[in-house]
Amino acid sequence: MLAAALAGLAYALFFASPYGLRVLTVAGVYALAAFGFQILFGLGGALSMAQGAFFGLGAYVTGILGSRYGLDASVTFPLSLLAPLLVALPVGLAVLRLESHYFALATLGVAQVLHLLAVNLPDLTGGANGLPGVPAFALFGWVAPRGLPMAALVWGVAAVGGLIGWRLARGRLGRSLELVRDDPLAAGCLGLDVGRLRLTAFALSAVYAGAAGALAVHTQRVVSPEVLEFPVMVTILTIAVVGGRGRMVGAVLGALLLIHLPEWFRGLERSYLIVYGAALLLAILVAPNGLTGLLERLFPPPPRALPDAVEPPAGPRATGEILRVEDLSKSFGGVRALDGVSLSVQAGAIVGLIGPNGSGKTTLINVLSGLERPDDGAVWIGGRDRTGAPPDQIARAGLARSFQAATLPNHASVLEAVAAARLPFDRSVAEAEAHARWALDRLGAGDLALRPCHGLPAALRRRVELARALARRPSVLLLDEPAAGLTDAEKADLAAHLRRLAWEGMALLVVEHDMDFLLPLVGWVLCLDRGRTLYAGPPDGARRDAAVIAAYLGGPAVRDDSDDEDGA
Amino acid sequence: METAFQLLVNGLALGAAYALVALGFVLVLNATSAVNFAQGDLVMAGGMLAVALAPLIPLPGLVLLPVILLVMAGLGLLLALVAYLPLRNRPPVSVFISTIAVGIILQNGAAVLFGPEPRVAPPLLGDGVLRLGGVAVPEQSVAIILVAGLLIGAQHMIFAHTQLGRRLRATAQDPEMARACGVPVTRMILVTFAIGTACAGAAGLLLANRYFVTPTAGGDLILKAYIAVTVGGWGSVPGAVVGALLIALFEVGVSSVFSYPVALGALYGVLLLILMVRPQGLFGEAVRRRA
Repeated sequence: MLAAALAGLAYALFFASPYGLRVLTVAGVYALAAFGFQILFGLGGALSMAQGAFFGLGAYVTGILGSRYGLDASVTFPLSLLAPLLVALPVGLAVLRLESHYFALATLGVAQVLHLLAVNLPDLTGGANGLPGVPAFALFGWVAPRGLPMAALVWGVAAVGGLIGWRLARGRLGRSLELVRDDPLAAGCLGLDVGRLRLTAFALSAVYAGAAGALAVHTQRVVSPEVLEFPVMVTILTIAVVGGRGRMVGAVLGALLLIHLPEWFRGLERSYLIVYGAALLLAILVAPNGLTGLLERLFPPPPRALPDAVEPPAGPRATGEILRVEDLSKSFGGVRALDGVSLSVQAGAIVGLIGPNGSGKTTLINVLSGLERPDDGAVWIGGRDRTGAPPDQIARAGLARSFQAATLPNHASVLEAVAAARLPFDRSVAEAEAHARWALDRLGAGDLALRPCHGLPAALRRRVELARALARRPSVLLLDEPAAGLTDAEKADLAAHLRRLAWEGMALLVVEHDMDFLLPLVGWVLCLDRGRTLYAGPPDGARRDAAVIAAYLGGPAVRDDSDDEDGA
Repeated sequence: METAFQLLVNGLALGAAYALVALGFVLVLNATSAVNFAQGDLVMAGGMLAVALAPLIPLPGLVLLPVILLVMAGLGLLLALVAYLPLRNRPPVSVFISTIAVGIILQNGAAVLFGPEPRVAPPLLGDGVLRLGGVAVPEQSVAIILVAGLLIGAQHMIFAHTQLGRRLRATAQDPEMARACGVPVTRMILVTFAIGTACAGAAGLLLANRYFVTPTAGGDLILKAYIAVTVGGWGSVPGAVVGALLIALFEVGVSSVFSYPVALGALYGVLLLILMVRPQGLFGEAVRRRA
């Protein structure tokens, strides 16, 4: 990489024509804009159609202030970063919680509004013709004329921006965003504030785009509605996808390649965008990981070393009642999934939750973990009322849960997947991975650490999922059918682990159909049927209770697959 | 009063054309849960096709309609084969990007073939003026409303009352279940793309006379289809048609008082407002459900 950078430098210094330098400068500008897009779209998965508009907004701020008021970069450059940020924040707050297609639509709308304003406010923007006479980049008397100084300035800013982006991408923010992209529900249950993470990424992308737009105008020396038109957006998107989604190096490679492409195909003239379209289509079809993905396949990175295990700090040893549920009700349409359910779990206790399919077990877990809001009733965790709180707040209050279908990110390694659970708590990814190693070792799964989650057999997936919950040292753990699909030996092993967690003071609530596994494990059983409590008491009583037997244990199993048992 | 009636007719004509665009968009959305971002550029392609065919077939535009429907349906098949089927098991954002790519190719291909200037397609029947109850209205507007109404009605009849339509609806509702019941899901998706693209092509012909057609027209049109579907409730077919009529009436109404840019700006402003306060659309979302 260093060699490539040096080669680029040598080209710029000794071989490039003035025109070649200008193309190189434009490539730097687009690399800068693409860095921000890599964070938002590449890592966060939010397809913003406003990156080109923020680029244009930054360009207009510098263009208007520079050409009309003669202000220098000490004023215009910060304002070019600030203006897109001020547009991004309210828009992001309003629509980032929505489904991704609405986000794309809203950002497209923002882009169109900005373009309309630029064309139709000629007194401010110069209208369709734009504003000529934008001064060169000047800072405290130092001026960067066209040619080598401007190229150096742009690539200098791009280098700083790229390094910052690279550190963010590899750090907690990048890891958290990938988690949010792949599975927002699971990310929330791990304690990540999905909305805040997306907003941060959107704000960062706007700042990068604004900086790139400002530098673009200093290069072009005019600003016109062209900077707000769709081709800018298309170019940034294509650079990100062709270069390699989420990778800063990909943004640089993609920008260098795509900005030079029209120069190599001079015959195409105006139609270079057809080549972009074809490149974008080709990349998404045959090389979804882009150029960086191809390079990594050719030169695989050396296997990484495992971090040493470090025990994560545990909160004060909890005592007394950890989880309290009062009179909880929840309906879906006309179906009462939960109907006045109450429950209490003490520190160190294991409570079993049983009932036929469709009886409301998973709904109860979803309400407790914040994925569903109860219609009525209250949930207390660690002595505080958490009724209706969002999943990430509940998770940070000390509640962890597993899912029926283990929700591990496919492309990540086991260590990365478990470390993700520590991201809301630890200061760095390295620290999170050390803590993750501890959790894996504790469950005897340390040797899985570097395996990809993709393709793990079911039993191991469940163990990794348990490690994920354990790594956070929760005070209460909800497990949804942890023994499903395990062999008898694996079940015995799991039971031993759960007993040890309880012995250390954790409160556990376990949903399970396998009575031979569950009843010896638990000190208390709650049996639900059609959302109502059928039985609550010691496990021996459950075996003898006529209602439980009729509804569930002995009677012909009434299977009703209609509703909530598919896992969240 | 007379102006109000004329505005209403013009608004309905514009809305009828938008409705075809939104209809094609929402049919593909329901069948694949993927956003076809090329829909606006396909409308443009239909308009350009009409412009190209007009000198070859010197008859009223209406005669071009079957040719355009057929060619565009073929283009829809191609679109599905290239930009959807290879990506059907990847995250939905992949199809979003692949259709953006197809849109770019269409848009710039049209710019190379036809140049950037606005082009005009022939009117459906004639350029004259009709008198409805003593009020003069353009013949073309009435023809647009009738043709779009017929096409939307035909789509409804096919989906509601034929074996093919039942299979198409089953595919949209639950592809796994449909496949288990023996519906050839992949073929149904191809048919949906063909129908959706034919709708776009027809809209292109309808719009390209009064509103001209330029290679970059697709951007605004996809946005309007998108807005219509959002306003009407994401995934609802009748909602998309109603949403399209609403935004066209809004556009024509505001334009007549202020100007077209103001109307467009207000439309996007209202869109952002709707997304903030009522993201499920005015009539509620209907994803994976079809009326």
